[in-house]
Amino acid sequence: MKHVASVAGRELRSLFVSPVAYGVLSLFAVLAGIFFVLDLAWFEQVLFQYQQYPDQLDDFNLNDGLLREFFSSLSVVFLFLIPGITMGVYAAEKSNGTEELLLTSPLTIWDIVLGKFVAGAIFIAAMVGIVGAFAGVLFFYGDPELGKTLSGLLGLLLLGWTYVAIGGVASAVARSQIVAFLITLVVLVTLLLLPGIAEFGVAGSAPAVADTLRYLSVQLHFDSLLNGLVDSSDLAYYAMMIGSFLAITKAAVESVRWR
Amino acid sequence: MIEARGLAKRYGDLVAVEGIDFSIERGEVVGFLGPNGAGKTTTMRMLTGFLPPTDGTAVIAGHDIFADPIAARRAIGYLPETPPLYPEMTVDSYLAYVARIKDVPRRDRRAAVDRAIARTALGAVRRQVIGTLSKGFRQRVGLAQAIVHNPPVLILDEPTAGLDPLQIREIRALIGELTAPSQGDTQHTVILSTHILAEVDAICQRVILINEGRKALDASLSELRSRGRTLDQIFTEYTTRDAVGVASGARAAAAEGEA
Repeated sequence: MKHVASVAGRELRSLFVSPVAYGVLSLFAVLAGIFFVLDLAWFEQVLFQYQQYPDQLDDFNLNDGLLREFFSSLSVVFLFLIPGITMGVYAAEKSNGTEELLLTSPLTIWDIVLGKFVAGAIFIAAMVGIVGAFAGVLFFYGDPELGKTLSGLLGLLLLGWTYVAIGGVASAVARSQIVAFLITLVVLVTLLLLPGIAEFGVAGSAPAVADTLRYLSVQLHFDSLLNGLVDSSDLAYYAMMIGSFLAITKAAVESVRWR
Repeated sequence: MIEARGLAKRYGDLVAVEGIDFSIERGEVVGFLGPNGAGKTTTMRMLTGFLPPTDGTAVIAGHDIFADPIAARRAIGYLPETPPLYPEMTVDSYLAYVARIKDVPRRDRRAAVDRAIARTALGAVRRQVIGTLSKGFRQRVGLAQAIVHNPPVLILDEPTAGLDPLQIREIRALIGELTAPSQGDTQHTVILSTHILAEVDAICQRVILINEGRKALDASLSELRSRGRTLDQIFTEYTTRDAVGVASGARAAAAEGEA
């Protein structure tokens, strides 16, 4: 446990002494700001149109009309930013030669893998914190549902953590950071496309496969959290995804020894 | 202090190292000699726990590398061929990190880092970022990293490779100091690999010569000197013997053909 903290601490410190962390965080804050303003403008427009249909106005609120859109847009931003954050976690150790330091130190491979994941998880938490600040603004001017807002933020957090775990595998397997970035991006996009594949590809011929694909897709589990449903099966899904990708990362790091 | 028992590393049919046996006593400084590709680095990597041997085992300071890998690794300070450095960290924070992952207790860490910096004469650059240091300084940081937890065993893989003559002299003097029995610190047992014969002459008491993955010679320098042979002669004899054997065999075959 102590070693996990050491590895995580170094990882975070390295992120923050280089401009990468600040660059990513400010880029994210700017993008979040742009999406927030756009979603807000759209919300106002729809609200204006709904004035003519008061009965529909009851179903329209800040959570479903604004925050939902806002959080979904940011999940797409995650898709591109997180591979950039995780690409170096293992690939840089290989190019620095520090892999040899880590593997000859009295650390277990789990210490290394968990330490690096914790660092990534904390970074994502900071990003979700930025999102939370935007959502918080709404509480001053309106009355969104707190529970639904929090469950949406939780969805973003778990989605980000899953992406970090996937990025870790790519970085451990790839030789260079750019390859790690591309692998992560391809895997994440594929995960996003799974429901589509299930719908149009195999739903007719193999319903069992389609169900599995749908279950594996990140999108559906994210959607249910956005809708304010904190279901244990969705939480179990994220735990399973993160756990399995960490286990694969561990095997990939260890494989250096057996090559 | 270091005991290798039948160490072997094979990659499929390719034999990198086979049947390496030796025993090194406390305080000995042993030069690992051999041509490039002889298996020096592979052997050292097996001793440090970076690569698991295919066959055989090693005992480091009383800890078997298979039965008790963590304790064995804790007893070793290792400088790989390329010093394992994080270019974005300062010398100070890097050494503090290494001390942490090498299990130096928290209260002793500051002192351990200060001592390593003093012994490698890095005081002037301790707050500098490693990426900005010259090659000679980086090598010294690599050495500081190997001794920061005051390990009984030091394994140095070509500590002077790629340095200029002045830096080579400095590093040699440093290694000499580390192994001098007059030091108040732990007396280190050292294995250092090199293919520079003068280096062995300058710092080692004993030579282990490896050729084509096998131990070819294991003798003390004084013994070799008493035989009236220079290291150069011995090196040439042991590393080309096979080639000579092949040549003379071919000559014999040719003679047979003529008869």
